[in-house]
Order: sequence, then C-alpha cells, then structure tokens
Amino acid sequence: MEEVDSRKIDQEGKIPNDTLEKLRSLGLFGMQIPEEYGGLGLSHTMYARLGEAISLDGSITVTLAAHQAIGLKGIILVGTEEQKTRYLPRLASGEHIAAFCLTEPNSGSDAASIQTRAVLSEDKKHYILNGSKIWISNGGLASVFTVFARTKVADANGSAKDKITAFIVERDFGGVTNGKPEDKLGIRGSNTCEVHFEDTKVPVENVLGEVGGGFKLAMNILNSGRFSMGSLSAAMIKKLIEMTAEYACTRKQFNRKLSEFGLIQEKFALMAQKAYVMESMAYLTAGMLDQPGLLDCSVEAAIVKVFSSEGVWQCVSEALQILGGSGYMKDQPYERMLRDARILLIFEGTNEILRLFIALAGLQHAGRILTTRMNELKRGSVRVIMETVGQRLRDSLGQTVDMGLTGQLGLVHPSLEDSATKLEQNVYYFGRTVEALLSRFGKSIVDEQLVLKRVANILINMYGMVAVLSRASRSVRIGLRDHDHEVLLANMFCVEAYFQNLFSLSQLDKDAPENLDHQTKKIAQQILEKRAYICAHPLDRMS
Amino acid sequence: MSCVRAVLLAQCLPRSRAGVQNAVLPGALFSQVPPFLPRGLHCSSSPLSSVKAPVPRPPEPGKKPGEVRAPHEELFQPAPGGARDKASFALAVQNFGRHSVRKRGHVDFIYLALRKMPEFGVERDLAAYNLLLDVFPKEVFRPRSAFQRIFTHYPRQQECGVAVLEQMERHGVMPNKETEFLLLQIFGRGSHPMLKYVRMRLWLTRFQNINPFPLPHELPQDVVELATLGLRRVEPDLSARVTVYQKSLPADTTDPVDPIQPHIVGIQSPDQQDALARHNPARPLFVEGPFSLWLRNKCVYYHILRADLPPPEEKDVEEIPEEWNLYYPMKLDLDYARSSWDDYEFDIDEVEEGPVFAICIAGAHDQETLAKWIQGLQEANPALARIPVVFRLAGSSGELRTASGLEDSRQTRREGQVDHEHLQRQQQSQS
Repeated sequence: MEEVDSRKIDQEGKIPNDTLEKLRSLGLFGMQIPEEYGGLGLSHTMYARLGEAISLDGSITVTLAAHQAIGLKGIILVGTEEQKTRYLPRLASGEHIAAFCLTEPNSGSDAASIQTRAVLSEDKKHYILNGSKIWISNGGLASVFTVFARTKVADANGSAKDKITAFIVERDFGGVTNGKPEDKLGIRGSNTCEVHFEDTKVPVENVLGEVGGGFKLAMNILNSGRFSMGSLSAAMIKKLIEMTAEYACTRKQFNRKLSEFGLIQEKFALMAQKAYVMESMAYLTAGMLDQPGLLDCSVEAAIVKVFSSEGVWQCVSEALQILGGSGYMKDQPYERMLRDARILLIFEGTNEILRLFIALAGLQHAGRILTTRMNELKRGSVRVIMETVGQRLRDSLGQTVDMGLTGQLGLVHPSLEDSATKLEQNVYYFGRTVEALLSRFGKSIVDEQLVLKRVANILINMYGMVAVLSRASRSVRIGLRDHDHEVLLANMFCVEAYFQNLFSLSQLDKDAPENLDHQTKKIAQQILEKRAYICAHPLDRMS
Repeated sequence: MSCVRAVLLAQCLPRSRAGVQNAVLPGALFSQVPPFLPRGLHCSSSPLSSVKAPVPRPPEPGKKPGEVRAPHEELFQPAPGGARDKASFALAVQNFGRHSVRKRGHVDFIYLALRKMPEFGVERDLAAYNLLLDVFPKEVFRPRSAFQRIFTHYPRQQECGVAVLEQMERHGVMPNKETEFLLLQIFGRGSHPMLKYVRMRLWLTRFQNINPFPLPHELPQDVVELATLGLRRVEPDLSARVTVYQKSLPADTTDPVDPIQPHIVGIQSPDQQDALARHNPARPLFVEGPFSLWLRNKCVYYHILRADLPPPEEKDVEEIPEEWNLYYPMKLDLDYARSSWDDYEFDIDEVEEGPVFAICIAGAHDQETLAKWIQGLQEANPALARIPVVFRLAGSSGELRTASGLEDSRQTRREGQVDHEHLQRQQQSQS
C-alpha cells in the first residue's frame, strides 16, 4: 500500500493499471468469495481487518468495496451453483470487475419509482432490458453488473403486478453503454458514471434469485456491506493521529510545543476515543455476523456505519485544524482525506435514512412485545394498571437499576463499574421512554422523524457503550498491553454518551421545554413557503 | 362676538390703508408674517370685503335647487384645455390666498380642497398637503395663556387641521419636518393636530410592514400584468406557472374598455396538474365564478376550475406499495394508532373542500372566453379532454358589464349546454 501514490490518483481521477494488477495479484478482488470459486474466503472479521490495510487510499477502497461488498454479494447470497461457477472465479481473480446498478435519476431510496424495465421475449429465453442507471461505481471498468429492473409478475390471485427483479448482466450481452466518468469532490480515482441499457438481451438463467424477489435481495445486499466502514474509518483515524502527532510534537509556538496546549490535546483525545469506539463496534458486529446461523445484524451494521462516517468526518476535520494553514494546502494529504471522507456520510444509505431505519427497526421489535401490554391496558385490566402505576412511582422515587453488569458476578471489570451503571440506567429509562412513545404515537411514529432521530442517537450511543465496555473489560482481564489506557478511553466515552443520552431522553418527553421540534417545524415551514430567508436585513430602517 | 369684531374693525381701518398687502409668492411654501406690518392680526386688509361677508349670497341662476355650490368651488374648475393635475391643484390653492390676504372661509376651503384631491390625483402627495396646511394663517391659533391651553383653542380650525392629517393617514402619506414646522407655527405644540402628527410619526412607521401580503405601491397599468399579480395572490404556491392564453388586443375604436379580444391569464401549479391527471373522468369539473378580488382600489374577477369531493365510499384508499423503501419500513405493523393526547389533526374551522385545479382571470366573463381557457389548459393537461366540464357562471351585480337579461338566458342555457359542451369536447378530442 505504501507504493500507492494517492495524490496522483486524486489529481488524474483514475487508478493506474499497475496498481490494479498488484491488487489482483494479492487476491484482494475476491476477499469474500468462498475458496472453491477462487477467492480468499475470508470471514467478516478478517475482511474488516484487511479493510484496515486498504483504507489508506479512499478511491481504491471504494473500487474494491463496490466490486465485492455490493457488486458480487448478490451472486454469493442467492446465486445458483451454475451462476456461481460461471462468474465467481473470474470476478475473484479480478479479471472482471462487478458493479451494482440500482439508483436511477428518479429513484434513490424509493424502490417503487424504478423505471428500468425487463420484458420477457416471445421465445421466453431472454429478457429485454431497457433503462438507465446513474452514479454507478466502477461503471466504466465493470463487465458484470447486478441490475435491478421491473418485471411483470403474476400474483397469487392471477393479477399481474410490477415487481423488481435482479439480473446479472454482462457487458457482452450488447446494448450496455456508459457515460463519461463524473467529476466528483472526493474519491476521484473511483470510476462513477451512468450506465444505459438499450434492448439488452439477458438470458433467463441470469435472473438472480427469483423473479420478483429483487427488493428483498437489494435490502440484504445493502444491509450486509455496511459494517466494514467501522474498521476502515478507525484505520484512517489511527494514521491521522500518527501524522498529526508528529507535527504537534515538533512545532513550537510561543516557546511551547503545540502538544502542550489544552485545545490541541483535546483534539487528540477526541480522535483516539472515536477510533477506539469505531473499532470496537466494527469488530463486535463482525463477530456477531460470523456466528453460525443467519443472524440479522442489519441494525448493528447501520449503527456502525452512521457512527463511523460522522466520527471520521469530524476527526479528519480536527486533524486538518491541528495543522492549521498547512493542513489546508494540497501538498498535504489532509484535504484529500477530508474530501474522501465526505462521501462516507452519503453513500450506502445516507445517515439520515439509516437513523430512521435504526429507530424504526427497533421500535417495530419493541412494539410487538408491548402490544399485549398495551391491549391489556386499553381493556383496563386492573392488575396491569396497578403494575404500571407502581412502576411509575418507583421510577419517580429514583430506583437503582441492576441488570447484572456490575457487582459480584458482574460481567464488567470493576474499573468500569461506574460506566456500566450508567449504561444500565440509560437502558432502563430508554425502555420506559420507548413505551411512552409507542403509546403516544403508535403507528404514526413513522412520520415523526425528529423523534426517531433522537431514538436512533440514543441507540447509537448505547451500542457504542456496550462495545467499548466489553472490549475494555476483556483487555483488562486477559492482560493486553496498555489496558489502563483503554479503560480510560472507555470511561470517558461512556460518561459523554450517558449525558448525551439523558438529554435526548429528556427531549423525548411530552411537552418538554428542551424539545424544540415545534419551533423547528414552524421556522422551516415559513422559510420554505417563501423559499428564501425572510428576516429583514439588520441595516434596514423604517425612516 | 360681532361687537368685538366691529370694534377691532374700527381700530384696523385707518392702519390697514397704510398697510402693505401680504402677497403670497407663488411657489413659496411658507408664508411668514413680515414683522414690519403694523396691522392687527385679526383685521382684514380690505375694508370692502369685510362688509360684504356676513350677507349670504343668493344662489346663482341656472343651478338646480338641491345642489348648493360650495364657495370657492370655481377655483377648482379646470382651465379650458387644461388637465386636472398637481400643478392646477397648487394653482387653485394659491389662488385662494390671492384674492384676499385675510383668507376668509379658509376652513371650508380646506375641506373642499380635501374633497377635490382625488379628482386631481394628489391624495398621495405630501407637498399638496403641506401646501394646503399653508393656507391656515400662522401664529393666530396658537394658545397664548394657560387658560387657552386648557380648552381647545379655535376648535373648528383644530378640527380642520386634524381632518387634513386624517386624510393623509388614510392615504398612507407620512408627514415630514415641514408639516411639523407648519403645524407648530399654526397651532402650537400642545394642540390636537400636533399631537396627531406625533402619533402619526410613531404609528405610521410601525404600520408600514404590517400587511403580511403586501401589494406594490403602484399597481401595473397593463391588464395582463394586473391579472398576473392577482393570480399570484390567489395561488401562493411558488412552483405555479402563469400562462397568458390570450392577450387583449386594443380595438380600432377609441373605446379602450371593450376590446375585441379579452385577455385570458391562467395559473396552475404542478400539484394541481398531477391531481387533474389522476382525476376520475366520471366526475365532472365545474368552472365557477366570477369571484371578485380587490387589489387596492381595482377589482379583478377570477374563475376557478374545481371538482366536488368524492363521497366517502368512493374515495380510493391510497395504495401503499408493499415494497417501497429500500432502507427503512414505511409502515410499522403495530396494532395501535396515535393516542388522542397527541392528535393535532382535528380542527373545527377547517372544512374539507373539493380540489381546485386551475384559476384564471379573463377580460370577459362569458362562456366563450372561458371555453378558450379550458382549451388552453388542455395543452398542459391532456387528461382534461376526457372530463366533462360544466360552466356554473354566477351573475354578479356591480361592475360586470353583462346585462341581466343575458345572464338569465345563460343560466337556463347552461343545463342544455352541458351535454353540448361534452359532445363538442369529445368531437374535438377525436378529430
């Protein structure tokens, strides 16, 4: 990786071919492909670990991720044996590159507005594909595309409905053209372009999964590719800490080194803390995914993605700030890393949408459990009412919550006891708040995005606390090097997250003075009515 | 009162003959009393007019018995070939002072001038008001003792001053320092006009921006632009597009009021277009109107194209596609709905009305013009060709030019013409 000249890639907007050759020879194009098809067959944990090494250059990372994490994932997940043997070996060796074609000009996250059509031909052996897709990573380099299009599916009761189906389309099928590479803000080395399909003949055998099952496949693919962002971002931040610490400890201003100033020290502490949390969350999720059996870790992966993308954006910004003016110059890598890091907040599901997903998935689960309770309350069963009233009384009198994390047989090392208590309290009060929210809003909580955002923030903080506490206890107990530093980082993060959660929880109460949702909506409505900033200029006079 | 006046007159007479006439210089806005004039302030300089004034003049011949001509009204008659404008107004006001320096009947004259201002078009002009205030004699009405200050000194004149300021306020004219100085000279500091001036200075500034839907100060003269302005007020959606279907061509005759081709200007927003495309062709659309919209002092009439609300049984439930959002569930399958504590939807004042699809302002209010509008709308909304359109044109009294006889026949014709229109449209769409 040291030989890669990131600056040149950024300036030219293209990854040089010999770099790609080297990546191919290292087998990096087939990290998750099982070994019998020629790939490396890595587990999720190992994939995350390798991702750390690649992450130094953003364009290469994105090219490889678009190829493997989404481009070929479909074939691995639901491909038939025949499809796997036909495509995977060549994709694993890097001879062909894959791309994932879902987004269209009119549809980003809205799957119902996809307009690409696939019509069965008369001889029922081909599908004719027509349409265009935009912003396809690797669009210019790829020869194997996973394309999502609408097909007519006969429903159970005989009516024909339009459903989405996934196809494996090769460039050799004809009719596949791509536009010129887009000029982007960051990850300029990765090739992003429009792909147009005109009467492309796709054989029936190339339907991925079942006809009409494209939606679920798209959701699975998108959900599974996200967790590696945690380790990528953590590696970027670790490299940044090295580079900036070098600078901070040598540069002197006012006869003191920069590293002696409190504000600079705060920045380093922030970067270290974020890196620690990101790593812990990413490997915890990877470990969960590696467990046997099909576990649905989509919520955890989404949490990792949101936290990592926002954390890395903040940390790169702070690192650039430590360098001051020289960080702003193009000959330093910081501005390139900042631009590359910006896309992390946008692709693979924008952070806003993922927050809604995290909150709604959790609320759905909680709602099912609470349904029986709610029904009983509504029916007015005396026992349940007395229980609820008793619980509320005990809450208001400040009961101590014990979930088994601390104490004699506690899971957490005693040095992290305080943080664990904080986590337990947060979890308990979060549970109460979720009950209250569901009873207040019910199904219509889908429309209350500001409420869902807060719920998601609390969940992200809590997952971070869990990951960090478990990792710190483990390193103390098995005696890893510098475990007291880890305990320090863990405690600091837990305290911050605890107070942030308390604030969010207080904002979620009904008619809380901290809750400014009503004002936010009113201001937004007035501005959007006039589509401009409506206040009078400060220098205006009434003469 | 008359004996006091007689005594003063007797004192003034010898002095006034030697006195210098106080000439009002044309164009001067201030009339300052020259200090060297050794005359009593309450005396009139010409002895003859003071003798004549108490006797009321008989009405001039040739007038109707009911109509009483105000004195000095002939000052406001336009000069032959001259227009009624600011200059002639100023001339009229100055002519009042010219024929007598005593300015008898100045209160009535000022009231008359205030009434005549709209004819001359100067009701928004601050200089005209200052000129009018200048008609008052200065220093006469100022209270000189505490006793005079308690009671309203010269109440008729103070009322007149307040009336001038009231007219300024009504037309939104902001008085300036000149006005203040004039009022100070005429009435003194504690007088009612001065107080009113101070209050105007405060409140008129504050009230400049209280209209949440302000109109430009000068309304456009062009009919099409006026119609656009009116339509933008009726349809506040900023994405709406205004289309001019027909410009009014000036007729060859000198009568600009009734052009051959009336203007038709319509407005429609993209949401309305989508709603029209989704509209069920079995339900008819209604062209209703004309409704009046006042823009300052001009009235424009607009028509709307609307449909009735479908009855609740027929209302089709919005289909939520099952596989809609790739990232998060758009619908939670939970049993319970929103609790009543957080339900802000119910509003007793809001009545659900049927959808409105387009609005237009046309020069004429008859069916042919509006049919042209519907044809123009069809270009942007092809779905309109298949939907029957019923014209429900209400005859409104007032400024509409249509005779009432024609209106009745039009309304009876309406029912018969519905099918005719429908057939016509079908034929048009087929051809």
